[in-house]
Amino acid sequence: MNRFEEYNPITVAVIYLCILGISMFFINPALQILSFLGAVSYDAVRRGKKRRGGYLWYLTLFLILTFVNPLVSHNGVTVLFFLNNNAITLESIMFGANSGIMILAAILWLRSFSDITTSDRLLYLTGRLSPKISLILSMAIRYVPLFRKQAKKIEDGGKAIGIYTKDSIPGNIKSKLRVFSAMVTWALENGIITADSMSARGYGLKRRTSFSVFKINKEDVAVLLAVCLLFAGVMYAVLRGGLDFSFYPRVTTGKNAALYITGCISYGLLVLSPALLEIWSNIRWKYLISKI
Amino acid sequence: MEILDIKNLTFTYRGTTAPTIKDVSFSLNAGEVLLLCGATGSGKSTLLRMLKRELTPLGKMQGSVVYKGKNIHIEEAPHLATKIGFVAQRPEGQIVTDKVWHELAFGLENMGVKKEVMARRIAEIANYFGIEKWFDRDVADLSGGEKQLLNLAAVMVMDPEVLILDEPTAQLDPIAASDFLATVRKLNADLSLSVIICEHRLEEIVPYADKLLAIDKGQVLAFDAPKAAFAKVRECEAIMKNMPAASLVYERLTAEYKDSINTGKYEVPFEIREGREFLQSGFTGPYTKIDEEAGSKKSVPVLKVTDLRFRYDRNEPDVLCGLNLSLYENEILCLLGGNGSGKTTALKAAAGLIKPYAGKVEVFGRKLASYKADSLYKNCLAMLPQDVQTILYADSVKDELLESGIEAGSLPYDISYLLDRHPYDLSGGEQQLVALAKVLAAGPKILLLDEPTKGLDALYKEKIVKIIKDLKAAGVSVLIVTHDVEFAAGVADRCLMFFRGDVVSGGTPREFFSGNTFYTTAASRLSRGLFENAVTVDDVVKLAGLNHVEKQKN
Repeated sequence: MNRFEEYNPITVAVIYLCILGISMFFINPALQILSFLGAVSYDAVRRGKKRRGGYLWYLTLFLILTFVNPLVSHNGVTVLFFLNNNAITLESIMFGANSGIMILAAILWLRSFSDITTSDRLLYLTGRLSPKISLILSMAIRYVPLFRKQAKKIEDGGKAIGIYTKDSIPGNIKSKLRVFSAMVTWALENGIITADSMSARGYGLKRRTSFSVFKINKEDVAVLLAVCLLFAGVMYAVLRGGLDFSFYPRVTTGKNAALYITGCISYGLLVLSPALLEIWSNIRWKYLISKI
Repeated sequence: MEILDIKNLTFTYRGTTAPTIKDVSFSLNAGEVLLLCGATGSGKSTLLRMLKRELTPLGKMQGSVVYKGKNIHIEEAPHLATKIGFVAQRPEGQIVTDKVWHELAFGLENMGVKKEVMARRIAEIANYFGIEKWFDRDVADLSGGEKQLLNLAAVMVMDPEVLILDEPTAQLDPIAASDFLATVRKLNADLSLSVIICEHRLEEIVPYADKLLAIDKGQVLAFDAPKAAFAKVRECEAIMKNMPAASLVYERLTAEYKDSINTGKYEVPFEIREGREFLQSGFTGPYTKIDEEAGSKKSVPVLKVTDLRFRYDRNEPDVLCGLNLSLYENEILCLLGGNGSGKTTALKAAAGLIKPYAGKVEVFGRKLASYKADSLYKNCLAMLPQDVQTILYADSVKDELLESGIEAGSLPYDISYLLDRHPYDLSGGEQQLVALAKVLAAGPKILLLDEPTKGLDALYKEKIVKIIKDLKAAGVSVLIVTHDVEFAAGVADRCLMFFRGDVVSGGTPREFFSGNTFYTTAASRLSRGLFENAVTVDDVVKLAGLNHVEKQKN
């Protein structure tokens, strides 16, 4: 029933790690293109009609990455032309395009990851590693908006009694400094109250445990198993040389077509899993809602 | 059964010679509510903090604090951290984490409780406190009252046997404060939880307390059941002023007419109901109305707000919905209303701190926008914010005044005894006076005050009332936003009720409060149906006295 973003944070984190890890460590255009397609499809399914703009920006980034590489790297055997006595080769353009796609895919994956990873999910993940780090993060997350709010209050307070001025540059700087120093005093004072409240509730007395509102259920286990299987499939193809690929001096690929196809299908399913799980939950939800 | 036994406690802060707490002894039985009262600076907070080892300040301590036979300052017992719970004044600072559920879990995490046990305890507590609805919310989105309730819940989740509350409702509005105290009472009744509470707002808590511990200058003045302790507290003016209205009326009437009243007949009343019975026993009669002085003619408005509309975000509802409001010259106007009704927003709009999307604000007949740069805030209009710490920046009160360019001598009140102190070390009332000094330094003709009595005891409230009246006499027009009905009744020329972003009704304090049934002063509730328009303790005493004399004549 879960939407992809409602799976246990560990499940989600494992999927992202597998996808990004493979696309970053193994050079093969097929993997990069699959990773990119997976990221785009999940984005499309997740957002539905609410698309976010910025495609021109991504295209520009891709073009820059593609065409900067041949300017600095002159490896490769297929010379297209000379620029300032430097060879511009087909191979280095292809290499640039490959890295471009890889970086675009990584950006898209990380963007969706940060969108679906709310602070409590992040804390759950860090809490597994260390309850202390998790607590510090939780406090830091709270302090950022708190500080912003307090700074605004101090600014308004000063303004309404005529000692926060924007009239002149020196006056403005002085006012800003005053807000800053007031913030420091306030933060220290507030910190003492918080520290008292922490020790009053037994902080530091025993080894901390970490509470969370997340559970690992059957679906998580099933998805994790499937992901491991797919990951193993890709790794098998990689280790047996099925996904070998190199750009320089000329483009060469692995020889074993069966292994190549195994690797690509496994990785393809892996990168599509977020979108597929999302679609699956939509279908099930539509079916269930028809019964209400 | 004694759960907490304090013997001969004396405490001297490091770096000072005079003890803050002198030879204090008292005990708390299981299931009792003990009310601690004392003037500002009498050592209440210090005493409460010494009952909890983790919070005991640095300094020299003598005497003992014994919890169930164990001296908490000597015996090493980590579990005591959970057995004695502590909630302090400021709701915001006490919260540690960013989510409501995490805050509830915090104490249990510290004690290393297993996750399954935690889940059950948290679910239980969230249910009891009605927190389920906001279980997943960010703590930043909670109101002050909700935050303080969360602080209480986060302590109660650890299953304490003694709860220590250090002015827990000082920063809350009256409704939230009532809710909080009701929850404390419920905990006491349901779980037989022992409570030690220190409060300024005694109206509600005195009738409920089992014991009253009054301290003055660090020494025990009285420790007894409230009605018995009342007789001994009499001499201490600072404590007396905070007592419930019914007891004050009783006290003043019996003092004035002691020859003709049989004091043995009545115990001191604390509740409104008891107070009414006392009044009905011979203080009703022909005098039921206070003659109002003819209201001053309405002059020109110095601040005029017309059809003001404002919302914080395009997709949110209006906070101000076509607000119309005028502040006349040389007038003290109080805006009253519930939490979130938009009072503070209205004040900010009047001060030009937020930009309404429709309507206009005129100051001395000129639109706000026509005041270039900061000319509005120089010798014209100034505002005291709700949280006065936001305008205190310097390392000493002297520097604060220096920075604002005002001398202590030129203020209408005396703060010269505070000059060398750090603003953050002052009590709430003292901070209020220093902040007000900085506001007055701007030489305002229109003064806007946002909750000037928040967290103050009756003594400081009286001071503030006097200052505001003096300012009015000096020609300043004052607009006050407040929850505090007793304060408004004492200070205002005119009161307005704020509701859903607009003003719904208004009048002089007497018209206003005698017309309200719920949103009114204790004195008005006390005399409802007996007198027509008595809204302060002074009013009630005056009318009751006249009736009593009349009866004696016959």
